[in-house]
Amino acid sequence: MPDVVVCVKQTVDVYQLKPHPETLAPQIGQAQWKNSDFDLNALEEALRIREKHGGKVYVVSAGHDVKPLLVRECLAMGADEAFVLSDPSLEKADGSATAKVLSSIIKAKIPRWDLILCGEASLDQNSYQTGPRLAEIFNVPHVSYVTKLEVGGGGIKAWRAVEDGVEVVSCNLPAVVTVGLEINTPRLPSLLMIRAAQRKPLNELKLSDVGLTSNDVMPKAETVEIKALKTERKKQKFEGKPEELAERLAELIISNVGGRR
Amino acid sequence: MKALVFGEKPEQTASLAAYLSKSIQPETTYAAAFTEYSPTELETVGGAGVKKIYVLPDKNWHAGPASTAHALSELAKQNGVDIVVVYASKKGNEIAARTAQRLDASYASEVISVERSGDAFLVKRLVLGGGYVASLLLRHRPSVVSIKPASENIVPGDKPVVERLNIVSDAPEVKFLESIKPEKAHVDLEKAGVVVAVGRGFKKKEDLAMAEELARIIGAEVGCSRPISGDLKWLEEERHIGLSGKRVRPSLYIALGISGQVQHLVGMRDSKTVIAVNTDPNAPMAIESDYFFVADLYKILPITIESLKKKLVS
Ligand SMILES: Cc1cc2nc3c(=O)[nH]c(=O)nc-3n(C[C@H](O)[C@H](O)[C@H](O)COP(=O)(O)OP(=O)(O)OC[C@H]3O[C@@H](n4cnc5c(N)ncnc54)[C@H](O)[C@@H]3O)c2cc1C
Repeated sequence: MPDVVVCVKQTVDVYQLKPHPETLAPQIGQAQWKNSDFDLNALEEALRIREKHGGKVYVVSAGHDVKPLLVRECLAMGADEAFVLSDPSLEKADGSATAKVLSSIIKAKIPRWDLILCGEASLDQNSYQTGPRLAEIFNVPHVSYVTKLEVGGGGIKAWRAVEDGVEVVSCNLPAVVTVGLEINTPRLPSLLMIRAAQRKPLNELKLSDVGLTSNDVMPKAETVEIKALKTERKKQKFEGKPEELAERLAELIISNVGGRR
Repeated sequence: MKALVFGEKPEQTASLAAYLSKSIQPETTYAAAFTEYSPTELETVGGAGVKKIYVLPDKNWHAGPASTAHALSELAKQNGVDIVVVYASKKGNEIAARTAQRLDASYASEVISVERSGDAFLVKRLVLGGGYVASLLLRHRPSVVSIKPASENIVPGDKPVVERLNIVSDAPEVKFLESIKPEKAHVDLEKAGVVVAVGRGFKKKEDLAMAEELARIIGAEVGCSRPISGDLKWLEEERHIGLSGKRVRPSLYIALGISGQVQHLVGMRDSKTVIAVNTDPNAPMAIESDYFFVADLYKILPITIESLKKKLVS
């Protein structure tokens, strides 16, 4: 019966994010927060493993301001228990700080686990770091970019998507696995599940609860500026009758492909 | 300043060294390899700026990323390098992350540039779905970055010194079982001059024939948004454009039924001219294109195709 830890990051919803018209800085304050997409695929996979093999599913989340409501979403999907750690010093956390906090939570609160599942990257930073870093900290194998996973016999078999196709690999447990969007479709919790989740344990932690101080989570890669990319486009809009538009489109295509054929 | 570069393939290692020679100009560039390089490959990496290449046992590669990261971090320590630069392939990214953790280093993945900034390295990378550029300072030595530099012509030069080194690693192992190669689609979207890209505005797989015909008559390659290849599997994975796919830079990009979410835009932003067809006048693509047709692609494409056929024949 494998016990599975799923790391879920809360990020700003990048789909809604608008840059400031002058400074081009992202207006983070105006956007909604959500659970990072790939991490919900990781949670879904953990739940499927539990349905097949038993065991427990723990959710771990850390950030400068972890929203309990979003953690409840994970519990409503089916996770058994959640450990969350909020600390303002995590606002600028990089991959190293994130891995430090997550591993410290796991060490302090989840002494027995067989598998850690993470999304392969986060919606906001897209760094592809957390999984491999956790594996290094725990000195266990990891498999990234997994699109199909089988657990059994004290190990895993994983199908992973790399540039030149799919690689099938195996390793012993305990291990860390990171997954992409293709592995599954995360379930939407029913009203009943949402209500049941209210009674599930959601443990809120401080850095000191897991033996850390804010000095331990200083970023080693420091973000100094974020600015929107700007593209200069003509932005000409054409509306009208299909026949006329089609003709116009043909003309524009010809004038832009030039002599090329 | 000393740098250590590593790419899965010799040409990747060469592109990293060539990029560093132009950007941060290390005094010495070392390279790591887990296979023997041919004489021509040695001349290429030498020409790109590698002074010395360490050839490590291939079991450090085949035993998985932990073992590879162990070998790279040992090399970095032995040579006292200031920066480890890994080619940002998918495997490269996971190896770089483990290497950074082992070295307790500053690390930025998939950067688009590296410069010196005083005692630190200043790197840029795309964040927040790809619509934003973040600048980061890496102050710790060594620092680790992964990057995919644009390929360029490298003039072969003197072969680097080759040293064979045995690094014994007890790092946790991942066993390779088999590799399933996709049917090769033979597309080189990154080099295409014209791209016709299809999105969820197409209702059925068969309807893509319209886009394929358009592409054929104007000499374009067909690309797509992620749902078309990933979720629907209507086209090969190799054709998907965006954050998690290809970055294209054609002179003309034609987006058919693509809404223009940030993750898609990253892949096509460098196109010279963008034409879009979309039923929704407020689709984000409207402000990311030069010519935006508010229209049903099913109604206008057949006419456009016929018209193009006539025009291109005459
Ligand atoms: C981490 C992550 C990475 C991602 N990476 C990528 C990536 O690399 N590449 C990528 O493309 N996406 C990526 N995505 C997905 C991305 O967010 C969007 O979901 C995707 O780009 C949308 O594809 P689409 O435009 O084809 O579909 P939709 O957003 O559904 O848009 C379809 C468009 O077609 C229009 N339309 C409908 N009917 C017609 C018609 N008859 N005629 C004309 N127009 C019509 C609609 O108005 C709409 O604008 C990623 C997502 C995540 C979370």
